[in-house]
Formats: sequence, C-alpha cells, structure tokens
Amino acid sequence: MKSLFALTVFGGGVAHLTLAPALRVADVAPDIPLLVVLLLALRHGPEFGGLAGFAAGLLQDAVSGGLVGVQALTKGVVGFGIGTLGGRFSVTQPLVQVPGLVLLSIVEGLGRFVILKLFHYPAAFGEVMTYVVLPQALYNGFLGAALVFALAWAESLRARTS
Amino acid sequence: MKTRRLVLLGSIVLVCLVLITVQSRGRSSGAGDVVAVITTPIQTLLARVNRTAFGLWATYLDWKNVRAENRRLRDENQRLRVDALQIGETVDENRRLRRLLVLRDRLPLDTLTGEIIAREWGGWVRSLTVNRGRNDNIMRLTAVIGPDGLIGRVVDVRPGAAIVQVLTDPASTVGAHVVRTRTSGIVEGEARGTMRFKYMARDGAGILVGDLIVSAGHGGLFPRGVPIGRVIAIDDRGSALFHYAALAPAVDFGRIDEVLLVTGDTAHDIAAHFPVDG
Repeated sequence: MKSLFALTVFGGGVAHLTLAPALRVADVAPDIPLLVVLLLALRHGPEFGGLAGFAAGLLQDAVSGGLVGVQALTKGVVGFGIGTLGGRFSVTQPLVQVPGLVLLSIVEGLGRFVILKLFHYPAAFGEVMTYVVLPQALYNGFLGAALVFALAWAESLRARTS
Repeated sequence: MKTRRLVLLGSIVLVCLVLITVQSRGRSSGAGDVVAVITTPIQTLLARVNRTAFGLWATYLDWKNVRAENRRLRDENQRLRVDALQIGETVDENRRLRRLLVLRDRLPLDTLTGEIIAREWGGWVRSLTVNRGRNDNIMRLTAVIGPDGLIGRVVDVRPGAAIVQVLTDPASTVGAHVVRTRTSGIVEGEARGTMRFKYMARDGAGILVGDLIVSAGHGGLFPRGVPIGRVIAIDDRGSALFHYAALAPAVDFGRIDEVLLVTGDTAHDIAAHFPVDG
C-alpha cells in the first residue's frame, strides 16, 4: 500500500511534469495527478484517496508556485469523496467514466476557484470556467476513460498469461 | 472506522487551511521550501530526460522516412540523418545561446542566465521554473527577459530554483506603452493564455494593428523599452473609459529554454537592444 501511495503521488507528479506539456491540445493540458488520484481512490477507498490527493496536490502546489495548500485541499477532499462514493457506484462503463471524471474535474476546479477567490484571484468566473475548467475537465474525462481501458486491458492480459 | 475517516478528512482540510492562511499573511512557506528541496533536482533531471526522449523520438521518425525513401542506402542514410539531426540541434542550441549571450553582454544591466527546468501551463497559473534560486542571490520580483522580449517576473524563490510568472498568467500586470504613439497602459494576462493592453480611450485613438508594445519601466521593476507584444486586434468599447487591444506576445513562452534574470538596477532604457521589426 505504501509503495502504491508513493507511486500515485510521485508517478502522477512525474507524469504531470513530463507528459502534460506534451499532451497539450489548444493550450489545454490534462490534470494527470487528479486522474491518478481519482482512479486509485475508487479502488482503495477514502483514506487512500484523501491522503494521495493531499500529497499529490501539495507537490503540484510546490512546483507551480501558487498558494501551497489549495490543490492539496481540493484534491484531498475530492479523493476522499470519490473514495467514499466509489463503492456505491458501478464505474466500469465509459458512459459513467467520462461524465463522472468531467464532473469531478469541474467540482475540483470550482473548489480551487472559490478558495483562490477568497485570496483575491483576479480572473473572472466565466473566463476561468470557459477557458480553463471546462476544457480541462473534458480532456480529463476522455484521457481518464482511455486510462481505465488501458488498465483493464493490461489486467486481462496479465490474467490470461498467468 | 467512520470516525477515523472523518478525523483524516478534517486533518487534511485543517492542514491546508493553516498553510494557505500562513502564506496569505505574508510569511514565507517553510513547507514550500521543504518540498522544493526534493522536487527541484527531480525537475532538473526530468527536464533533461524529457528533452532527450523527444529528441530520440524525432530521430526515430526521421529514420523511418529515410528507410522508406531509399532502402538500399538505409544504413548510410540513417547514420547521416542522425548526424545531421544532432548537428542541427547543436547549431540551433548554439544560435539560441549566442543570441542570449550577445544580449547579456550588450545590456547595461547585471544579469544571470538561467535554464528552464519546468513549465506550469494549467491555466490557473502560467509559470516557468528556472534553475537559479536563493543560492544565486535571486530575489522575488526579479525581472526575467529573453532575446525577443519580456518574459515575466520571479514570484517565488527556492533554494535551487525560482518560479517565474509569465506575462500571460491571469495575475500578471505590467506597465507598458505603445512605441509609435507613446500611449500608456497596462498589459494584463488572461486565463485563456493571451494578453491584452488596457488603455485610456481618450489617449489611444491612434493605436493600430501591428503597433509594438514595450515595458514602460515605471516602478523600477522592469527595465524600460523591453518588447512585450504587438497589437493584433483592437476592442473598441465605445464610450467606455478604457479600451483594450489584444496582443501577440513577443516571446514564445512555450518554446523558450534559456532566460536572463536581471539581478541589478533596472533603471535603463534598453529598447535599442531588441529587434523592432520581427
């Protein structure tokens, strides 16, 4: 569990630093640590989701130069929430995965906006939603679904070979 | 079980709120420094691995094309192509570094060269991480420029790195003026990754598409005359007090690899050292 936790935090961070700029489409980059936290929180529950979200967010805050604690808070809460709710929903279908990831990304974005606004973030709500939150949420949804497919395929391959 | 979970959630929220509150009250973040000590070497390593990996990928693509083009000469062609790519990359890097060094030597300013080791391009924050920090006596609000123009300012200094807020960051504002008409205004970053020039409507009637905007040098933060961008569209808001002009940045923030950090006095007009026709 500890190695999985470290892999989630540092693996997500490493992927965010190396892959996210390369995966940029029309100046929109996916939030890879959020995806990793959400997907693993679904499997490992609220404690894992909360702690992994907190640590991954803290790392992102430190790297990006923003207020340290904002992403740690939003990702921690979202990771905890999805870990709690995960056991009650079936999330194996793409029709659930894509809108679910989009919705969670929007919730995380709204949380960040509210916290930053308390500390005088200058951008307007409409602008942030139109140009940052919604495009990134859509991207997260499709990339996350692709990631789920890839994981399922890898697991079935492993089951077949063993 | 339920209580343990609630205590965990409460602890996470509490720690984050304490961190944010401490920073917002102007105290430096020790937590940020501790994380930076771990992340800066990793970022430096990753930046190098990233560049090498993409270089290898480009080489591989070229190799495939050469093979399809002439199978008989494949081996020789491959070697030549790889050599040419390496030379081309070296030439390109040399050209970039030479431009930077020429600028550094000509400028009447004390500067320090820095290498970009990470980029944050999420939209909330648009920043670059430079491999110069507290150990190099870099201070907060240090101006950062490149051979093509103004890049931004240092907003956070860590032991081995500094975070540069680029001009397209939504929180970035820079005093500027139009070179041709001398109209003063403010260049603001926008969440969509663009910049706009905000000016008093009564002063800006003569602004045209293509006009060059440079830093005004007020406040002693940025040197005067550093190119910021060119006007690509004018948003005439009728009788409003302020009008806006959309700008194309002078610097391609997504591709820049080396920068100059202005470490000394910035009270100079350095417009003559930058291209005005590009």
